[in-house]
Amino acid sequence: MRVAHPSRAALAIAKDAPLLELTDVKVAYGGIKALKGISLRVFPGEVVAMIGANGAGKTTTLKTIMGLLPLAGGTVKLAGRSLAEDVTEKRVADGISLAPEGRAIFPNLTVLENLELGAYLHRDTKAMKETIEDVTALFPRLGERMKQEGGTLSGGEQQMLAIGRALMARPQLLLLDEPSLGIAPKLVQQIFRAIAEIARSGVTILLVEQNTRIALATSQRAYVLRTGEIALEGEAKALASNPEIQAAYLGG
Amino acid sequence: MARGRAGEKGKSRLSRLAVGVAALGVALLFDLFLADFVHDSSIRQLLMLAACNVLVALSLNVINGMAGQFSIGHAGFVGLGGYTSAVMASNLHEMLGGGEPTFARSFIVVPVCLLASATLAGLFGFLVGLPSLRLRGDYLAIVTLGFAEIFRLVIATAQAGEDGSVVARALSRLGGQNGYMGIDNQGIPLYAGPFWVFGLAFFLGVVAWRIKFSGWGRALRALREDEIAAAAVGVDPTRYKVTSFVIAAVGAGIAGGLMAIMRDGTPIVNPDNYNFQASFDAITMVILGGSGSVSGAAIGGVFITFSIKAIEQVQATSAVQALRREFESLDLNALRMIVYAVVLVLLMVVRPEGLLGERELFQKKRRARG
Repeated sequence: MRVAHPSRAALAIAKDAPLLELTDVKVAYGGIKALKGISLRVFPGEVVAMIGANGAGKTTTLKTIMGLLPLAGGTVKLAGRSLAEDVTEKRVADGISLAPEGRAIFPNLTVLENLELGAYLHRDTKAMKETIEDVTALFPRLGERMKQEGGTLSGGEQQMLAIGRALMARPQLLLLDEPSLGIAPKLVQQIFRAIAEIARSGVTILLVEQNTRIALATSQRAYVLRTGEIALEGEAKALASNPEIQAAYLGG
Repeated sequence: MARGRAGEKGKSRLSRLAVGVAALGVALLFDLFLADFVHDSSIRQLLMLAACNVLVALSLNVINGMAGQFSIGHAGFVGLGGYTSAVMASNLHEMLGGGEPTFARSFIVVPVCLLASATLAGLFGFLVGLPSLRLRGDYLAIVTLGFAEIFRLVIATAQAGEDGSVVARALSRLGGQNGYMGIDNQGIPLYAGPFWVFGLAFFLGVVAWRIKFSGWGRALRALREDEIAAAAVGVDPTRYKVTSFVIAAVGAGIAGGLMAIMRDGTPIVNPDNYNFQASFDAITMVILGGSGSVSGAAIGGVFITFSIKAIEQVQATSAVQALRREFESLDLNALRMIVYAVVLVLLMVVRPEGLLGERELFQKKRRARG
């Protein structure tokens, strides 16, 4: 995986400073408070998982980081700089990339067109070709289906495409929203192996998952969200052996 | 390897240039000899009208096909272009000394007219496109319809009066409900020969094709499919939605401008040419050919133009005329709307994506190259 962005300077981060920092972030849909003030930090090179039940605010958190939802309070910082004034495109250009929930690919565009759109903000043809090579090395199935329309792919392949498209921007911070949702178990294994591979190449990952077991196995640290608040946080291994977590999320 | 690719690139550029020159030559031949081939001026008019309607369909296709918005007021932009070009042509003709419109002079008049039409239509496209940021679907459709009707009614009802303002006086010189017939009602000078009409239809067809497969077109189609996913890869929805309206309006303005000053056309522009029925015809062209397909829009444009003419021809036959004497209300032109409606309903049931869907004719080659 080539991750250095061709036209973007690497973010200058002080030693031991977080790449992404959310402080007391509040978000509301109309009158309903979806996030009641959550704080989390993701350090460079880490894989951090965010787990929790439906409606806990996981997807809302990711959308807020991307600037797709307005902030009602708190701050979102990338490499120490507040993103408050930045529109979504600016955040993508600065190195945040999201693979949205429910395999939000473009169904009537070909796999290749989907990927090319991922590199929308830097139209450097050479870098784009290289990244497509990397993505197809990561997901060989996509390489076989380049000319096919996205909508004709299987669920797992669509998820691969969504992740591949997010990688096309050569992000420093990759946000993954429920990559295991509605996908055959065998493909889930494959996708998470790929995620580990992406992390090894130096991309920082914030992973939202309902599949707690695999999320904790893949990540170093995790946050547990409950109705818009952070209920627990800690090392993934510690959380996996936490009796409360085991009872609530790991089936016993 | 690298040299081979560069050579290939140069070759394809050369062949593209050759195609361009050939098209120009063909258009020029059409201009000089069309009248010798096709003696019937009404057929000549039909052929050129078809080319203009192809442009109308191509431009509407940007909004209704690629951007996935829905405009039902496209005739407003066509009309804006038509009136602008008619007024410009009349005044330029007067300045150049009147007489017969010559081919040489058309190289001054046509570009100036079309540039003015495109600019004005594009400006209004921007204004109408602004609400598309907050409105979608049927709500946006109503805004576009509103614009088209306002445009038509303002021109149709303009009266100078004794104390009319400057704007009112200027508008009243456009002839109101009777239409604009040039300076002193001499008729609009018809400068745009087949060279301009067919040449521009070809050229803008290529432009539409390039737009669809460019990064810009891809982003626009992505936005149509999934706005959040598109935003997440960095596509700015605001800019794209408004720009798609501007581009469509510019295309419609050029099409309308051409139609107004088309040789063998009528030397008059009338507000009724740009009513809801005209917008509906444009929608039918796009849907029939396949929303989002450039070649589909072109096919739809040609087909609808010819079918309108065919129905008029049937109307003129003695059998129908005899029937009309019996039943006065028999009007095939009105029947056309019923026929279209039935065709559209059947199309939605049998083949909702239109003749071609989003595909293109001759697309294989491009795919193989990609």
